[in-house]
Amino acid sequence: MPTIELNGRTYAVDENGFLEEPLIWNDDVAADLATTEGITAMTDEHWILVRYLRDYYLKFGIAPMVRKLCKETGFKLARVYDLFPSGPANGACKVAGLPKPTGCV
Amino acid sequence: MCMIYLDNAATSFPKPEDTYVFMDQFYRTHGVNPGRSGYDLCMETGQLVDDTRKLLTRFFNGTDPDRLIFAYNSTDALNLALFGMLSAGDHAITTTVEHNAVLRPLYHLATHQGVEVDHVPFDAQGFVDPDAVAARFRPTTRVVAINHASNVIGTVQPIEEIGRRCHDRGIRLVVDASQTAGKIPIDVQAMNVDVLAFTGHKSLMGPTGIGGLYVQEGVDIRHTRAGGTGVRSAQKSHLDEYPWRLEYGTPNIMGIAGVNAGLQWIEKTGLAAIEAHEMRLLRQLVEGLREISGVSLYCQDDLSNHIGVMIFNIDGFEAGNTGTMLDVDHNIACRTGLHCAPRVHEQLGLDKLHGAVRFGIGPFNTDEHITTAIDAVREIAAAHAKRTR
Repeated sequence: MPTIELNGRTYAVDENGFLEEPLIWNDDVAADLATTEGITAMTDEHWILVRYLRDYYLKFGIAPMVRKLCKETGFKLARVYDLFPSGPANGACKVAGLPKPTGCV
Repeated sequence: MCMIYLDNAATSFPKPEDTYVFMDQFYRTHGVNPGRSGYDLCMETGQLVDDTRKLLTRFFNGTDPDRLIFAYNSTDALNLALFGMLSAGDHAITTTVEHNAVLRPLYHLATHQGVEVDHVPFDAQGFVDPDAVAARFRPTTRVVAINHASNVIGTVQPIEEIGRRCHDRGIRLVVDASQTAGKIPIDVQAMNVDVLAFTGHKSLMGPTGIGGLYVQEGVDIRHTRAGGTGVRSAQKSHLDEYPWRLEYGTPNIMGIAGVNAGLQWIEKTGLAAIEAHEMRLLRQLVEGLREISGVSLYCQDDLSNHIGVMIFNIDGFEAGNTGTMLDVDHNIACRTGLHCAPRVHEQLGLDKLHGAVRFGIGPFNTDEHITTAIDAVREIAAAHAKRTR
């Protein structure tokens, strides 16, 4: 199983860099994972998206649809890409500690 | 904000009001099994099926309505044709501009049933050279299968010329008219088409689940299925006469009714008027997208011999991302990816980029839809450029 070391902490990840154990996630983990997406400082906007994704995942076990993410957070998708250049699935979900979405986001 | 629907190459939406009303009314009053019994209602339902055969035969300038076969869709119809015309040892020619509706049946025949298949590439503008097709002819060539217009790049192929070369050698021409039936004129006689496959749910303005073949007189397709026909029930084998030869079980009368209404709407609106409207919008769309920095178009340099279907990409941005942004931020429906035509993308080098974004124009699109779509792409491209600067 591949691992990555971020800020002195080691994480087991899949081949795309998504956490293998979503339940070890916390804010520090999010900040560490954000660096793999080129995000040096998590802003309030980053956290709104990440917390929405996290809550949705814990409630339903999957990532939400992109349209739902934008509608419920009030972000335009273009803004999501500004914040997470890899996009909602490959960027925001990764930082939120979700498994790699297979569709939806 | 109402959705702007630019996915008409996948299926037309909405349908004309006439289609919805007639389907509902017909099924409520005539939802019985046609051709199975002798009571009046059954005969009337059968009459609608026969009338639709006649309408479609006339629409394609065929000669015998009995050779107008109903199937589920183009893929189903093309399976009937290709599996019923090719055998082990035969050679078939197709092109790289095809949809999987042609590619996959031929691949299956090649891998499991000993048919040899050649794929002729299209040129830089998206057209297949009839001489390049003829150059692949072998003594064993039985069938050339090609689409009338591409579902990806919208180019209309020189069918008449390809057909002439086929007929000089006694080779049958099978044409996939999924994208053109109801969009531009089709004349199976003048175009030298032996077998025409069509679908009802695109430009013929019917529902999904209905399509068919027109099989020219003198062309025979083996039946590769068998079952109920409603006539000569004591016969053990499937019937050889058309249309039963290629029809199996109870037909989709709701679908046939929808195609009937759709065809009548097309005739009332005028095929030439529909084509002119869609091509005017296509020109507007292509010209608008061409002016956007960082947007690439493919096979759209000259819009002669095109239908209202085109693809583009925002450079460096995956097609799927552009499509999702068009959907979520701009409420524009389109299709992204390989469009069930992988070889087109492969030849254009787009397969590594996960394909392209496709806009498919329909008769209910407006100037405002096109202007909004161009503005949306401009905004997405500008945001992407800013992001990657």
